[in-house]
Amino acid sequence: MRLSGLFGLCTSIAFLIGAATTAVAQPPEPETRQSTIENTAAEKAQSLQPYEVTTAEKVIARIEKRFTNQTIKWHPYLESAYRGGGFAAGLGYMFHTSAYSTLDVRGSYSVNSYKLGEAEFISPRLFDRRGELTVLGGWRDATEVAFYGFGMNTSSGDRTNYGFEQPFGSALLTIRPTRRLFMVRGGFEAARWDLKSGKGTAPSVDEVFTPGSLPGLDTTTTFLHSQATVGVDWRAAHGYARRGGFYGVTGHDYTDRDDALGFRRVDYEVIQHIPILRETWVVSLHGLARTTYDKGDQAAPFYMLPSLGGGSSLRGFSSFRFTDRHSLLLQAEWRIMANRFFESAVFYDAGKVAARRSDLDLKHLKSDYGFGVRFHAPLVTVLRVDVARSNEGTRLVFAAAPVF
Amino acid sequence: MRMKILTLVSVVSMALICGLSSVTATSPRFYRDDPLLRDPEPQDAAGAALSELDLMYELTYNLFALSGRKPAGVRAQNVNTIDELPDSSWFTNRIGTRALTIDEIVRGPNLGAPPDPSRWVIVREKTSGAHPGITAKDANGDTWFLEFDPPYYPEAATAAVVMATKFFWAFGYNQVESFLTTFDPNRMEIHPEATFRRPNGKRTPIKRSDIEELLEHAARRPDGTYRVVAGRLIPGRIIGNFRYQGTRPDDPNDLVPHEHRRELRGLFVFGAWTNLTDFKANNTIDTVLTENGHAVVKHYLQDVGSTFGIANDRYQWDNGWEHFYQGGLVAKRLASFGFALSPWATTRFSEGPAIGKFEGDRFDPRTWKTHTPNAASIEMRDDDAFWAARRVAAFSDEMIRAIVHTGEFSDPAAEKTIADIMVKRRDKILRTYLPAVNPIVSPQFDGKRLTFDNAAVAADVARAPESYDASWFEYDNPTGDTRFLSDSTSATTTIDAPGGLPTREDSFIAVDLSASSKEHETWRKPIRTYFRRSADGWQLVGLERIPERGSVARASR
Repeated sequence: MRLSGLFGLCTSIAFLIGAATTAVAQPPEPETRQSTIENTAAEKAQSLQPYEVTTAEKVIARIEKRFTNQTIKWHPYLESAYRGGGFAAGLGYMFHTSAYSTLDVRGSYSVNSYKLGEAEFISPRLFDRRGELTVLGGWRDATEVAFYGFGMNTSSGDRTNYGFEQPFGSALLTIRPTRRLFMVRGGFEAARWDLKSGKGTAPSVDEVFTPGSLPGLDTTTTFLHSQATVGVDWRAAHGYARRGGFYGVTGHDYTDRDDALGFRRVDYEVIQHIPILRETWVVSLHGLARTTYDKGDQAAPFYMLPSLGGGSSLRGFSSFRFTDRHSLLLQAEWRIMANRFFESAVFYDAGKVAARRSDLDLKHLKSDYGFGVRFHAPLVTVLRVDVARSNEGTRLVFAAAPVF
Repeated sequence: MRMKILTLVSVVSMALICGLSSVTATSPRFYRDDPLLRDPEPQDAAGAALSELDLMYELTYNLFALSGRKPAGVRAQNVNTIDELPDSSWFTNRIGTRALTIDEIVRGPNLGAPPDPSRWVIVREKTSGAHPGITAKDANGDTWFLEFDPPYYPEAATAAVVMATKFFWAFGYNQVESFLTTFDPNRMEIHPEATFRRPNGKRTPIKRSDIEELLEHAARRPDGTYRVVAGRLIPGRIIGNFRYQGTRPDDPNDLVPHEHRRELRGLFVFGAWTNLTDFKANNTIDTVLTENGHAVVKHYLQDVGSTFGIANDRYQWDNGWEHFYQGGLVAKRLASFGFALSPWATTRFSEGPAIGKFEGDRFDPRTWKTHTPNAASIEMRDDDAFWAARRVAAFSDEMIRAIVHTGEFSDPAAEKTIADIMVKRRDKILRTYLPAVNPIVSPQFDGKRLTFDNAAVAADVARAPESYDASWFEYDNPTGDTRFLSDSTSATTTIDAPGGLPTREDSFIAVDLSASSKEHETWRKPIRTYFRRSADGWQLVGLERIPERGSVARASR
């Protein structure tokens, strides 16, 4: 009797446990596919939340917003005060003064202690989008600008240095009457060149030359510079192009208020980009001839004469390596399109300077060759790295602009 | 006594097992409402909020984070039990599942009246898209997004939008109503509150000179008017884009990760055919609508304009051939100084102002590329591609030519060229994807004979196999157990059933169907079909073309 009571109790408990376990652990089994989906949706409805933007997305969005809206305010500024200043670091603050016009106040300091502070105002949509005005003013200090003497027969060991401080101000107006192709440009500049002894390891220029042999040495001169350009330009942009070209002539007049160092100069420039096989390659050609004209009996100062050498001319030579009254630069690049935003290039530069215009021929050119890579956006070169080799060694060029 | 104790233990044990067994019971493979033909969306999605994926982030993520991603190989998770897509807020079965008339296809998504172009009132600038555009109200007061042709491709860009919306509507995607119409600057007004975002970040009123500037970049007709494609404002509350992976965390009905949605995987095949290279979240729109008394999120492929010959701009050739960045290609080009030529460099395109540049001779459906990798495309398996290819196969030459005709080309030769290329690309898609898996489709069983079709043979892209083989099983739906019954074979697409099949209502059989073909080894892999016996006879309730972790369509991805 007692045993059968125990038996009944255990059995009941077991069934209860089984039933309870079933009831607690498992909701009623759905009978349809629709109800299984509805259950899942109901479950998700209990834990809805908004999209959570990841940190990476936030950062990239912020960068993109700044670039696409062109509302970058603080920005890095890596331009040196003058050619040959070496790597420079600096900061700029740009803001819009109107819907399209900008004012950029910036400064930099280079490894060779070049200093720059300037402000640039750009109004890009004048005259119903046919004109662009650039107004630039500032001050620079260059401490060891190279001068190797005149002509092609100097050696790298002939280097001397000079320095200068310079307040400057300019205005440049570019007009494209048809908004494309044809362009004229005119501008004025006032700049005071306050020459001083050079620093650095090379001797100062005034230790090697005298004012008699080197016009402009030990002077402080204020130049009024006016210029005018006529050209045709059918590149997509001067900051980056794979096709199109630019053909232009620019006349310069430098007036010395003391009528001692005034001169004139004419620049002839040709740029042509030739795409090959759907831009698999682009052959880019550049020719630039600069010729100096005397202004009466005035002598053009040595520091303003045409020169070759540096990251955008003869890349295998140091900046200002060759200087004289006239110069000729010929550059060819064979650009290989790795993809839409990256390309490499094999290049060859050749050029010469000469005291006489008639000597600007293709004989005895100094040359270099090299290889480079470039990161770019559709209309802007973001970074150019070139390795150039000449008979004076190998040089590395970093730039945020195309070579031409 | 001892006997009683044993009995007690046994009964207790049984009772416990009985209780616990109900805890561990598995769901049946088939429910009584399978196969589902419409995805239920029971929950109210009114809380779904605006969320837009940053374009640069998406590009960066897709190019660099997704480029090394290996496909999981899992089956699409939103297919029903017969391996088809139920209709949903993403997709509506159209071509390939029902007979579409030419008239229906030509009308496409355009259910409403076209715009009245006798007056346009500019209300906003256009914020996306490659070609010049503007948002405007027509003379009826309806809002439209107007897109112009670039001067160098008059007709090509606007025609592409119109044609593509009809193709993608027929595939089954939600599309924007798009009409070709006219914009006359002399009949244009600017709404006083219409603003334009200037480079300084501020919005200022749109001026006539702004519109003139925009029109400088558009193809102008000799009479001074402009051909435009007008896209109707999508109804509902816009909540941004859908993404090609994951789910919307704010939409209770969005349950399947998007990379595992078949219609988004199969988009790669449709994209390849139409040359829709610009897959990105920014070209999609999610909108909240009220349906059946509650809010649901509807998903649109909103911008399908970068298609056909306009996928590449004037000085672009590589779209459709490579991603924006492919490290291997970059290295190869650099190392070879560019002499390792890509196909696009030498391919002969059909080019013209109304065409752009388009071709079908070197087109390869498997190596065709979108701008960036895409999670859904990466996850595409051969069964997804097969599903999409069957829809492509359903487009007759006549249908294709009828759609291309809606591009209203002034040059009949251009129209013919585009249609011819589409036919050529369609045939390549079919040759690539239909024979790649066991192509048996549409099985039907009348209790005596099993009949089916061979999609590859029907599309004339493969020869009929030597024989078709069937293995018959009795299937126990609650447990998933199978009991082998018999094998049978046939030289045709009709196979006689063996004897001994279950006869009671709600019983199931499984039939493995394969084909013996010397040319197509993959056809030997059987598809598994399931039939349920009902009062009306045997009904197909299950079809599995490739089991879980099957092959992926593009090994190179």
